Amino acid sequence: MTDSKAMPAEPRLPPDKRFILLASRLWAWAFLGLMIAFFIIVVPLSGGATFLTLRNAMNILVAITPVLLLGLGQTFVIISAGIDLSVGWVMSLASVVSAHAIRASFNAGAPLFLAATLGFLAAVAASAGVGLVNGLIIAKLKVPAFIVTLGSSFIVRGMALLFSENTTVIGLPADIRDYGNESLFYVVNGEGGGFYAFFRPDVTGAMLRQMDRIFTWPVVITAIVVIICMFILNRTQFGRHTYAIGGNMQAALRTGIPVDRHIVKLYMLSSVTAGIAGFLSTLRFTAGSAVIGDPLLLSSIAAVIIGGVSLFGGAGSIMGTVIGALIIAVLTTGLVMMNVQAFWQFIVVGAVVIIAVLIDQSRDLVLGRRGRGS
Amino acid sequence: MRNASTMTAALLGTLLLSSASVSAADIKIGFLPGVVDPFYQVMQLGVEAAAKDLGVEVVTQVPPTWGVEAQTPILDAMVARGDLNYIITAPTDKDQMVAPLQAALDAGIKIITVDTFLGDGDYAKGPVTFPISYIGSDNVEGGRISARGLAKAIGGKGTVYINSTNPNVSSVEGREQGFAEVMKNEYPDIKVLGPDYNLDDQNKAAQQTAAVIEQNPDLAGVFGTNVFSAGGAGNAVVNAGLGGHVQVVAYDATAEAIELMNKGVVSLVLAQKPFDMGYMAVQFAVADHAGVTSLPRRVETGFAIIDKDNVSDPNFSRFIYKVGN
Repeated sequence: MTDSKAMPAEPRLPPDKRFILLASRLWAWAFLGLMIAFFIIVVPLSGGATFLTLRNAMNILVAITPVLLLGLGQTFVIISAGIDLSVGWVMSLASVVSAHAIRASFNAGAPLFLAATLGFLAAVAASAGVGLVNGLIIAKLKVPAFIVTLGSSFIVRGMALLFSENTTVIGLPADIRDYGNESLFYVVNGEGGGFYAFFRPDVTGAMLRQMDRIFTWPVVITAIVVIICMFILNRTQFGRHTYAIGGNMQAALRTGIPVDRHIVKLYMLSSVTAGIAGFLSTLRFTAGSAVIGDPLLLSSIAAVIIGGVSLFGGAGSIMGTVIGALIIAVLTTGLVMMNVQAFWQFIVVGAVVIIAVLIDQSRDLVLGRRGRGS
Repeated sequence: MRNASTMTAALLGTLLLSSASVSAADIKIGFLPGVVDPFYQVMQLGVEAAAKDLGVEVVTQVPPTWGVEAQTPILDAMVARGDLNYIITAPTDKDQMVAPLQAALDAGIKIITVDTFLGDGDYAKGPVTFPISYIGSDNVEGGRISARGLAKAIGGKGTVYINSTNPNVSSVEGREQGFAEVMKNEYPDIKVLGPDYNLDDQNKAAQQTAAVIEQNPDLAGVFGTNVFSAGGAGNAVVNAGLGGHVQVVAYDATAEAIELMNKGVVSLVLAQKPFDMGYMAVQFAVADHAGVTSLPRRVETGFAIIDKDNVSDPNFSRFIYKVGN
């Protein structure tokens, strides 16, 4: 085992092997590109609409935020050869808790921005707490992550339902909607339009329909989280340790990496990105929901795997997860616009997941890396 | 001991109440709704109110999730108690729940279904005839009412879109069916798109609706077959700058749906009458026990249509699903 450094430069491989390696790096990009090209051609044929519009692109970015946020922390966990099955329900819990915090602080007289900030902190605190417990049980008591997070997902789900009021928490200040739905930039198309930054232009009626929101606040916040995650994974000791633990746990222990403490932090990170997703959904739908994250767990894991993160640990990237989430969201929007049953999405996503794993394995064969993990 | 104290309470109740409840006092009713949600919670209020008024005891068990695999074990446990005479339930599947409820009947417990039914809902001539009655909304009719309400709101022409939760659930399926039928037969100038299924994911409902708006810039209305569909669709409509231009109709008058209406996201809310369903189901059980043989096999409880103009009118606002406080 000499490959604790992730992906060294490959020396002089024969062309067919070099092709496989190239394909393993670029296929997700290529697939996304081909899919978008397909929809650009086919969507107008099936209904007359244009697929590649600014607004549609922005709609897709908005749609990926929850799946992507769940996938970001998961990327770290899976690179470390773990798994976090609790993220969907952590998102729900954070949504409920943040809604309570926003409502209570606003009703107590806090200005809107402060109320939202408190909501954010409450979501982060609640989710970090779950991650701390998950991580401690996994690291200190040596219970498999699959079991721990499966168990905690039930507990968290129950808590989310208990803390909510009939599954939803309503009565939030109406203006909180702006934080979840307004944007960094605006483009108003047509006559009298223009480009606006930070503040929403004062348009009404038909003009309102000509207005595109470029990077809504949830998209901006998600992008910031993506950049932070990239930095942590690629540029810090924390990131290197994550790869090392997933690549070879025994080697990581021997080289003196504080593995237990690191694992606790990984599960906290995973929970917190899910918590941010819950907070953002509360802003977006102006209500806390104890079921909002239920359907998202498997999509988020699929995004991570399509993005090339190895379930055996030791390999993967944040950009891969972003591409994986994009593939899923582009599929949904494209198929709806083609008037195709959205269930085809599942079939395509499932096939893509399996292809991703096959490509991952063939890369390992080419590099002669077998039997990784602990 | 427990039986003795129950008997004492029952006797006291009998003494206090009119003679009509004498025979009712010795029956015990189980209430098994479909899932935890405001609709069934209001129904439970109806059940409890009737139990109090008629002096009967009710035992309620609520499945934490929707589905046969959640509901059946609870049903079996209620049957195993051995002290229930009637079970009032909302079957989570019209076919799969037949056998478990038949087993309850075989154990001597009579069945009344509320909100959802077994078979085709016709207990007189349909494939399933053993329940005493079905008391609930006619969801096909609810879909029709929603269609007419939406058609009126958009002036009888344009394109409308159905966003639904799951396929093959009798309630939302009936709503889609009634909606599409009215649009086809009564409003030839209205084109219906969908349904798309969001699988109870509000985020996906928003994405699907946004995609439909992209493809159909002239979209005039959306029918959300439940509050998640309506909430997600409404979010997409408002963000497209179409709030007030694209009318959104929501099924079920949860507090959340009403809040969405007050915020201008939803234009029309269709309220069912879960309190009526629960109350009448208990009345039916008591009547059956007293020997009444002409109970209707199917009772449709009707709807209230709530919009911005009547939402503060007590005659309408009383149908908003309110639980607690």
